[in-house]
Amino acid sequence: MATDNLDSLLKSNPQPPQTGFIVDDTEAISSSGEAGDFANREFVHRVGPSSYPAMMSARIASASTVPDLFTTHPLLRDFLVTESSQIQDETVDECLPFLSGLQQGITFNEHGVPHLDRRRHIQFLHKGLRNLPSQFVAADASRPWMFYWALAGLSAMGEDVSEYRERIISTLRPIQNPTGGFGGGNGQMSHLASTYAALLSLAIVGGKEAFNLVDRKSMWEWLSVLKQPDGGFQMSVGGEEDIRGAYCAAVIITLLDLPLELSRESPAWTSNGATLLTNLPEWVAKCQSFEGGFSGRPDAEAHGAYAFCALACLCVLGDPHIIIPKYIDVPRLISWLSSRQYAPEGGFSGRTNKLVDGCYSHWVGGCWPLLEASLDGPFQGHSGKEGSAEAISNTSVGSLFSREGLIRYILCCCQDFGKRGGLRDKPSHMSDSYHTCYVLAGLSSAQHKWHFNASTDNEPDSTLTSAYQWTAEPVLDDSQIYDEQDRVEMLHPVFVICQGRAEEMRAYFASQGGL
Amino acid sequence: MGPKIKAQPRAVAEPEIPVEYPTVKDKLEAEYLESRPYEVLKAKKGFSGMSAAEKSAYANYIFLETGVWKNWAASQQKDFWALVEKQKIPLPLPKPQPLGKDFRGRDLETYTPQEYQEYQKKQTRLRQLEAESKRWREIHIDGDERIEEFEEEESQEVEKQRRKEIGDLKGKAMGRYESDPTWDDVKPIPQDDGEGALAQIAYTDEYSEAMGYLRAIMAANEHTPRVLGLTEHIIGMNAAHYTVWLYRASTLFALNSSIAEELTWLNEVALVNQKNYQIWHHRQLLIDQLYTTISSSPSDLEELAKSELEFMMQMFAEDSKNYHVWSYRQYLVRKLDLFSSAPELASVEALLREDVRNNSAWSHRFFIVFSNPSYCTPTSKATEPDPAIPATVIDRELNFAKAATFEAPQNQSPWNYLRGVLRKADRKLSTEEEFASQFVQDLEKDTVDIKSSHALDFLADVWEETGEVEKADRALTLLGDTFDRVRKNYWEWRRKALKKD
Repeated sequence: MATDNLDSLLKSNPQPPQTGFIVDDTEAISSSGEAGDFANREFVHRVGPSSYPAMMSARIASASTVPDLFTTHPLLRDFLVTESSQIQDETVDECLPFLSGLQQGITFNEHGVPHLDRRRHIQFLHKGLRNLPSQFVAADASRPWMFYWALAGLSAMGEDVSEYRERIISTLRPIQNPTGGFGGGNGQMSHLASTYAALLSLAIVGGKEAFNLVDRKSMWEWLSVLKQPDGGFQMSVGGEEDIRGAYCAAVIITLLDLPLELSRESPAWTSNGATLLTNLPEWVAKCQSFEGGFSGRPDAEAHGAYAFCALACLCVLGDPHIIIPKYIDVPRLISWLSSRQYAPEGGFSGRTNKLVDGCYSHWVGGCWPLLEASLDGPFQGHSGKEGSAEAISNTSVGSLFSREGLIRYILCCCQDFGKRGGLRDKPSHMSDSYHTCYVLAGLSSAQHKWHFNASTDNEPDSTLTSAYQWTAEPVLDDSQIYDEQDRVEMLHPVFVICQGRAEEMRAYFASQGGL
Repeated sequence: MGPKIKAQPRAVAEPEIPVEYPTVKDKLEAEYLESRPYEVLKAKKGFSGMSAAEKSAYANYIFLETGVWKNWAASQQKDFWALVEKQKIPLPLPKPQPLGKDFRGRDLETYTPQEYQEYQKKQTRLRQLEAESKRWREIHIDGDERIEEFEEEESQEVEKQRRKEIGDLKGKAMGRYESDPTWDDVKPIPQDDGEGALAQIAYTDEYSEAMGYLRAIMAANEHTPRVLGLTEHIIGMNAAHYTVWLYRASTLFALNSSIAEELTWLNEVALVNQKNYQIWHHRQLLIDQLYTTISSSPSDLEELAKSELEFMMQMFAEDSKNYHVWSYRQYLVRKLDLFSSAPELASVEALLREDVRNNSAWSHRFFIVFSNPSYCTPTSKATEPDPAIPATVIDRELNFAKAATFEAPQNQSPWNYLRGVLRKADRKLSTEEEFASQFVQDLEKDTVDIKSSHALDFLADVWEETGEVEKADRALTLLGDTFDRVRKNYWEWRRKALKKD
């Protein structure tokens, strides 16, 4: 082949040669031995008749390693076209080039899956903690979220975030209100979501100094005021009551080991001793819709984010195998959750007839460990090799969803492969901290198997200890489509921060005793 | 120009032509040198080349420059000054200092002398205005009661103009609130971000200023009409600011403001902020308040229901699955008891005619039919049977779902709806076996023909119910191997459960 021709091809692909299998025209030509240094290639795949030009064989090779489930439109499609089906088809077309291992300029492994670009994603999240331009004004009422998403995402990728400890403390100090709780920023009313994100950020960086920032007494008073007579929680005083409030409040109460009784200021106070938890699981149960999923509040449509809030809230309140079947219709929930996974995309949607979105990798994907543990019952230990499919299936319902599908969607479609880095909703969307965090959390649940260990009751005087009985192991099976280097850390299935952090915070406050 | 004029002989005793300097810097330097003629002379001729008179004048110039004469005795000083006058020694000017920059960052030394003169005039005007403005504030903040109300209004206008002029002269308009005398009583509270805060946002000056005033207003717990303007301003810049919304709501109610006007304004805000929680909670608070005043008037309630529906349909034209709008709609149906309202059901059907896959519309239909307090058991959960539902309602809904299924068999919404209705009715799924079987041909053969994986799923449950385990197993196997492969693990789990039964 003429050199100038090769040059023009090289120019069209500015990516430097990397290890792994690059499937695009330039590299395919390269692999025929006319250019480049391939000593560092991990893998060069050659299949197909030897008479094919090298370029062709490489393309086919890569495509053939990806199961057709992920490279073609679904088998059953209706003729009727509506807006929903139109944008669904467009989304599939948008994802297919990424899923097929044919996208230009991306390095794929032998399963047609790209590596997790840790370096760029880490850089992206660090950037989100630095000074932000004025366009971020919309985030002005949710700055604790910015901290949590970045810190949770960074630690999921194995980054040591303790360097942020001092600054997290000093940044959160003026955001905490003397009347209890944290707001979205200095001078803003306290909000359950901000408080949840603030506490988890403190738990991630850890340490006595971080924990001591929290004023537990005023927190308890404020939570009492948010508690409603029907069992739920308002997000802020006078604000909306929804299932996010139920989950956030439960997490706050258990992490800080708060007393459960209500202050006299509470609208839910009764003379017969109603507590912060009275009617809470009943209220959550009222949010299960006829489809089986959960809505933000009773009467509304089932939505993935709220399914996680519902299950995680229940898993704070009790042991999954007891409390989940007690309050909700499990078969309908599983059927609905399972329907959230689409092919060829592989990822999850948030609602029936809506599109896949990377963030549901967590909101829906994060439901599976909780539900699987609920079906499995308390973990009794394995017979067989840790993490192997065989060992897991001996003691467990195994996986109820396609780990492969989710991991393909995450690694192929959710990564911004450009200089920007970060993870995203779908290829046509820009990455952001929120998606980066929750896509990584979804990846973590797809790569690990969680077990709930029977409650040991080693804290006889305290309550809400169920959430501290979880252990995990990596899923290791022959069908693993990603490389070991792309495995992220274990994120706690209830708190969605690295394993051990919530436990440390809880132990600290439990040792502090009363308010 | 300049050099030519400079080149003209200056000694000639004609009327002096003013020298034009290109910049004020040149002018000041020239003046500096002109005030030191003997220094210039010395530099030109050298000390030895100077005449005795010139040397004497030079020495006196040095005394002047250094100020040593100040230490002399009074009589000596007198003689000295007489000599200075006689020798016509000008007072040496101090060395020109840098003039600094104007508000645009331009070096003042590059101004022409005329420009500089103008500049100085403006600075004088600015100082004067600032002094006046300061005095004005002192009088008004102290609430000087001697000022008549009319005068106050007039002088407020004057002061407003004054501040505008100050802003113009400074080249930077004052903030909206700083420039408005009606806000003078508020001392804005700056944001305390803490040392080296993370994810600090570089706010615009406009946003920072407004938030500073809001913090002060909230600290003083003020609920006056101007708070509505301030909160509207902030919401226009950041509609996700829940604190601002809640404070606005409490102000509206404290002032007994017009809810209708607020709703009209809110419509516009909602249309430009599609994905926003706060707007819809705010709307809910407004309706709660409005309801207390119109609950006894059926015509007012009907009017409200109508206008709310109209607006929601406008929102749905942008996004027919907007979660916040639908949640609000469910709230409204309960609040105004619209369960049996004909337009309510009709509009949901219209949305489904447009897109039979609109699951939000299906969900809403389920809610209005199966939570209708005129026949439903109030405590019945969505996933529970409710024996109070009339059979006619059940049959109507079953038929509605089934008809939709024929339009697009692979659309899961009506299948979920169908199951939901059967559950409410406490009827077995097997009562609809015949219906679902229409989408599944030749199940046992290789030529199996499936129009809908949801029909197959439905039938698997039917056959589990009827104990036809093999058929159920076949259906679930087909789903996992062919028709819904990404959910294979789920179908396998269902198969295992079959065997356990």
